[in-house]
Amino acid sequence: MREPAKPFGRLLAPFNGQQTLGNSRFFWACWLIIVVALVLLPFIGTRYQVITASNFIISAILALSLCLIWGFCGILSLGQAAFYCIGGYAYGIVAMNLIERHGNTNVAILAGIAAPALFAAVVGALMFFSRLKGVYVAILMLVTSLLLGLFMRQTADPSYTMGAAYLGGMNGLSPATANDPQLPSIILGFGEAVAEFDGRGASFYWLVLGIGIAVYLALRWVVNSSFGYVLVAVREDPERAETFGYDVRLVQLGAFCLSAAIAGLAGTLYTAWGTYIHPDGFSVGANILVVIWVAVGGRKDLTAVIVATMVLSWLSIELATWGEISLLMLGFILVGAMLAAPEGAFIALGTGIGRLRARLRGVGRKAPAVYGVQELKP
Amino acid sequence: MNAVPRAQGLAAAQPAGTAAPPILDVRDVHKVFGGIRALNGLSIAIADGEIHCVLGPNGAGKSTFFKTLMGTDRPTSGTIHYRGSDITRLPAFRRARLGLSVKFQNIRAFSDLTVYQNLFVPLRRHHGVGEIPGRVAALLARIGLSGTETRLVKELSHGQQQWLAIAMAMASDPTVLLLDEPTAGMSVEETDKSAAIIRDLNAHGVTIVVIEHDMTFIRALAARTSVLHYGKLFAQGSFDEIAADADVRRIYLGSL
Ligand SMILES: Nc1ncnc2c1ncn2[C@@H]1O[C@H](COP(=O)(O)OP(=O)(O)OP(=O)(O)O)[C@@H](O)[C@H]1O
Ligand SMILES: [Mg+2]
Repeated sequence: MREPAKPFGRLLAPFNGQQTLGNSRFFWACWLIIVVALVLLPFIGTRYQVITASNFIISAILALSLCLIWGFCGILSLGQAAFYCIGGYAYGIVAMNLIERHGNTNVAILAGIAAPALFAAVVGALMFFSRLKGVYVAILMLVTSLLLGLFMRQTADPSYTMGAAYLGGMNGLSPATANDPQLPSIILGFGEAVAEFDGRGASFYWLVLGIGIAVYLALRWVVNSSFGYVLVAVREDPERAETFGYDVRLVQLGAFCLSAAIAGLAGTLYTAWGTYIHPDGFSVGANILVVIWVAVGGRKDLTAVIVATMVLSWLSIELATWGEISLLMLGFILVGAMLAAPEGAFIALGTGIGRLRARLRGVGRKAPAVYGVQELKP
Repeated sequence: MNAVPRAQGLAAAQPAGTAAPPILDVRDVHKVFGGIRALNGLSIAIADGEIHCVLGPNGAGKSTFFKTLMGTDRPTSGTIHYRGSDITRLPAFRRARLGLSVKFQNIRAFSDLTVYQNLFVPLRRHHGVGEIPGRVAALLARIGLSGTETRLVKELSHGQQQWLAIAMAMASDPTVLLLDEPTAGMSVEETDKSAAIIRDLNAHGVTIVVIEHDMTFIRALAARTSVLHYGKLFAQGSFDEIAADADVRRIYLGSL
């Protein structure tokens, strides 16, 4: 077992461990190159590419939120998009009401994170304390999402206003009257100073990229921390974890709320990105899409999930230009990926790379079975 | 003590001459799975500080008995008392916090975690983070798995996993340790070693209940022994008394 090179090793240690693929210097070097390339994108790419990339990163954050709860805590939720939309609506409603008074969207962002977390706390408490599990949780969350969508669709009546915000049914969130402000993009206030991020601009892209990296690193830290071990223990055998003195219901609830908060953050960014939020986000399709990203990438690895989300989002746009056949093509790719690597195509790829490197350097004949990592910590 | 007190009620289950109340007191417990009566009016008392062996034919309800003690299975009827207070309705995590700990019959270690992390999970509930590396090292030295800290459990051999499961059950410093077939798949030397560990823990005040099929192992422990049959206490006494009992030999030890 090789020690990672200092001082980078020391710096990266909190983010490395058995619960993540890619702990080697090689991995982090590649990671850094990709991050630098992404930072430089606005200088190389077109405006359209930058706008699209912002959307992809937001999707990746949403996928990470499902990866946490499904991949690491073993709870499949088919209603992850509900938290995303609750976050989006909460951000929009609060932002429209406070933007003129505050001049920034700080409170709205917090609302976009807190509202779905609170909602998850209530629904999660009901589910986990009644010891609901498996497919029942998955379906209950989907039904919850569909009910919320149904409700939001019928809010076209002008009576559905919340201060300056009009829910607007199928037309999406809009100002209550002509005098009320439009749904703003993100404006961060630091005391007197403000920083504006226009959803269509490069600054917004950099903001989203920064948040995406922060969420990724934070989750790597969480799953490789002691809380992460407990999460994995609960995933593998909740009953056994309980006999060690853990109130499994609280562990699940904690992870569920954290996951909802991250999904809400993604929804907030999405609403700010398009200055628009619409009830279709609660639909079956929206919910299943997140599950597909996570399943195809590999639910047990954060990096794999991000890569899968990016690649699949890009594919669906590329294939869309082919017309009719695109959906069929996408379907074939998904089914093929799931059959070839049931634990996730990008986990398989990552493990393969790990094995190959181990062989090239002659480190043992056999690489670790699943995680091709060199620097392990206890 | 009567070698074969056909197990009627509490008096029969009380060890003779112990004035102290039992640490675990199981009274008339039934557990029904569909049509199967896994436990059918089991009454048994475990004295504070003893080693207690549980024998019985396959399907007698021994593992189910442990699961109802630990709280992962709820009895269909009957009560369980711990140090005099009723814990029948207490969830498993609360019983763990009271000081109960179990090694299940199947290993049930967390296979995607490393050896270190597997021990970390039970240790963390009961000890500060700072103490854990030292305690892990001590536990691993004791079970002969030093140096495997960073190995994933699924890479270990079956025997190593068995030892790890025992160490995980010991990790929380329990007051009552329930071991369901700890020596299954162990060599003779390893079986001796686990008997030594059990005696050592017991000498430090841990009450230990062991389910075993290995007669040499039980003889070595020389502990009070209960025989379960069809979900009931069939016989109770010292191992020698049990081994000499004709009825017990007929239902279980016939091959001895
Ligand atoms: N979860 C369950 N569902 C249905 N039946 C069960 C369940 N658990 C145990 N049983 C049944 O209850 C009876 C007692 O099982 P138990 O595992 O307690 O026996 P045991 O004494 O531990 O046997 P062994 O020596 O084989 O381990 C068996 O007939 C078993 O099939
Ligand atoms: Mg058994």
